[in-house]
Amino acid sequence: MITKQLIDQIEGEASIFFDIKDNVVDFATIAFPHFRGIESILKGKNALDALVITPRVCGICGHAHLMATVRAIEDAYKNAGYPIELSKKITIIREFTLVMEIIQNHFKWIYLTIIPEVAKLNNSTKVQTPLKGAYAASIASKAIAVFAGQWPHSSYMIPGGITADPTNIDLLKAESYVDELISFFEKESIGVSLDAFLSFESCKDFNTLKSDFSYLESSLMNIKMNEKGFAYDRFLVIGTHTFSKPSKLKQTRPFSIDAKYVTTVDTYSPDQASYAKNAQYKNAFYETGPLARAMAGNLKIVKNMHRRFKDSAYTRVMARVFEVATLLEHAKELLSGIDISQKSFLKSVDISKITARGVGVVEAPRGPLLHTVDIKDGLIQEYKIVTPTQFNIGSSTKTNPTPAQKAMMKTTQDEAVFIFRTFDVCSVCTTH
Amino acid sequence: MHSKQDKKPSIIWFQGLTCNGNTHSFLNLENLKNLLDKFEILSHPSLPSTQNFNTVLSCTLECDIFIFEGAYDPLMKRNDTLVSKIVEYYAKSTKHIIALGSCASFGGLFKASAPDRNSGLLFNEQEKSGPLLKYESKVINISGCPIHPEWLAYTLHMIAKGREVEINKLHRPIELYSTLAHHGCTRNEYFEWKVDADDFGEKEGCLYYKQGCRAPMTHSSCNKILWNEVSSKTRVGTPCFGCTEPDFPRQNLFATKTNMSIPEDVPIGIAKRSYLTMAGIAKTFHIKRLEGKLIDYKTAD
Repeated sequence: MITKQLIDQIEGEASIFFDIKDNVVDFATIAFPHFRGIESILKGKNALDALVITPRVCGICGHAHLMATVRAIEDAYKNAGYPIELSKKITIIREFTLVMEIIQNHFKWIYLTIIPEVAKLNNSTKVQTPLKGAYAASIASKAIAVFAGQWPHSSYMIPGGITADPTNIDLLKAESYVDELISFFEKESIGVSLDAFLSFESCKDFNTLKSDFSYLESSLMNIKMNEKGFAYDRFLVIGTHTFSKPSKLKQTRPFSIDAKYVTTVDTYSPDQASYAKNAQYKNAFYETGPLARAMAGNLKIVKNMHRRFKDSAYTRVMARVFEVATLLEHAKELLSGIDISQKSFLKSVDISKITARGVGVVEAPRGPLLHTVDIKDGLIQEYKIVTPTQFNIGSSTKTNPTPAQKAMMKTTQDEAVFIFRTFDVCSVCTTH
Repeated sequence: MHSKQDKKPSIIWFQGLTCNGNTHSFLNLENLKNLLDKFEILSHPSLPSTQNFNTVLSCTLECDIFIFEGAYDPLMKRNDTLVSKIVEYYAKSTKHIIALGSCASFGGLFKASAPDRNSGLLFNEQEKSGPLLKYESKVINISGCPIHPEWLAYTLHMIAKGREVEINKLHRPIELYSTLAHHGCTRNEYFEWKVDADDFGEKEGCLYYKQGCRAPMTHSSCNKILWNEVSSKTRVGTPCFGCTEPDFPRQNLFATKTNMSIPEDVPIGIAKRSYLTMAGIAKTFHIKRLEGKLIDYKTAD
């Protein structure tokens, strides 16, 4: 018998249809019901308008959409014979605000989603502190707003640069927000200095800690999430950044990649209409996001967890927490590399002179985000968006399940719902 | 001490066709806990709630404040229940309805998902013809894409104190929407003396003449109540896109529509001829301080 479970308090809404046999999930299909048609809304519009429209695909990762759009339009400029060279300052500031958006996402996910859910599965009576996540996210948003004017829904990246021309006062302000976040993370989240945390090489090092992080870690172990939630043990990173290395990994072996091999296919969702398409690389499913980035980036501690617990739900969750640490440190490095005397914007030809296709790929909080735009005389002919959740949480058949479907098999329904959430579901992105 | 009669006002935060942008903007509120402590959150898309979502859908609850985020699509369902049924039920039984964001207020971006049927709760763009016409007196529109968290906090605090939130013709609180986005813009001096920004990425110049800035035509407090307590679009050189207005999103957002190099739309409440006379005079002056670099950093050479 198929039972439906509504998943709310994710970004948007999803339904999972469970087929339970012998008290464990035999198979599950996933539906994302709400379609908004952003791609068709963009048709016929001035290509620059996409810089305002696409951030509104998603309230939590709109900045990643903005960056994918600006990269896609800049690629179209290049393909039309007008390559745009960005100053180092522009590249760093764009990276910085993207990194801060990933950090705000992870903080919310840790405190508003995953700690409360892990507590439920542990029947724990621990007092929940979801507002810690909102607080940390709000500080990260302030750091974004220094350069981007606001978060959410900024449009400060434009082809050729950024609209802002920051001063040293702005840089110092951004630095102080990052410092505030680091001390919050040290005091409230991990219970040890960031440097010490980043020097950990084995999960055993966690045993010395007493913090929100150690509670999460031991609770995951307690419900044996290190033995559950396995996907394909294949990972995909496509966006090129100062903090990520594009590659495809089968277990730990890396291969080179090219975004042109990303395709989308219709979902298999027999019980409810779903507007999400499945994303694949060379016709195969891959897991994307923080775990994939850590594996591709050879992060020692995550490699250690992976060696012991493979791509279990435990490793997936821990990789996400760890990414906060590595990105906080990286954010500091980025800020120290900004030379305010460099140009913020380099003028190129008017968008109306551009007739070309452009592809923009970024690493969003949940993995690769691809925007493809076809421009004719500056107007959008076609716009296509592929989001990370389409890679991780599509819905396919039992013989060829998506990473999330595979990870839920052979667990109880409650465990399966938790494992589903370990992928950090973004329904709104998926049903753009 | 509060007596037992001082029951906290209850809130249901419900979503139609949305990007979650207002939800996430609200989570940025300074002292969020202080506000939340004054209310009972029956249901919210991401904050801890006392009721589960299916109970909300069953239309058996009562709440004091019904917050609706997103565009209204009469055919949309949340877990098999029509949104139209849910909205009607809570609109009828609640005391206050907050249409949160430009989609819920006027249709906004996601009106375009199905332009023939989608709208805001009370307005369809400028026109008052939304599904909640019957409950008009309860509706407060907080427009913006997204809303600033302080705008919602103000409205909720007023309701909690039992004070009236005075609204204008578009049902927006007058204390938030009487000023223009232009009000408090750090580029105002360039506007006064008609010095255009040559390009993006500069500290100098006004974005109204070439870069498409809608701030002089947009009701909001973006440059008064700063975003994330830090900045605003125009302060970082991004034009205002007019996201609080019923016609958002317009087209060609990064360019000013001009006729014979005169902006088609002039600041609200100013006759075009008066504006042009004043602008013409201002333009005849050459003010060296405003034509050069605002900050003259020493160069390396």
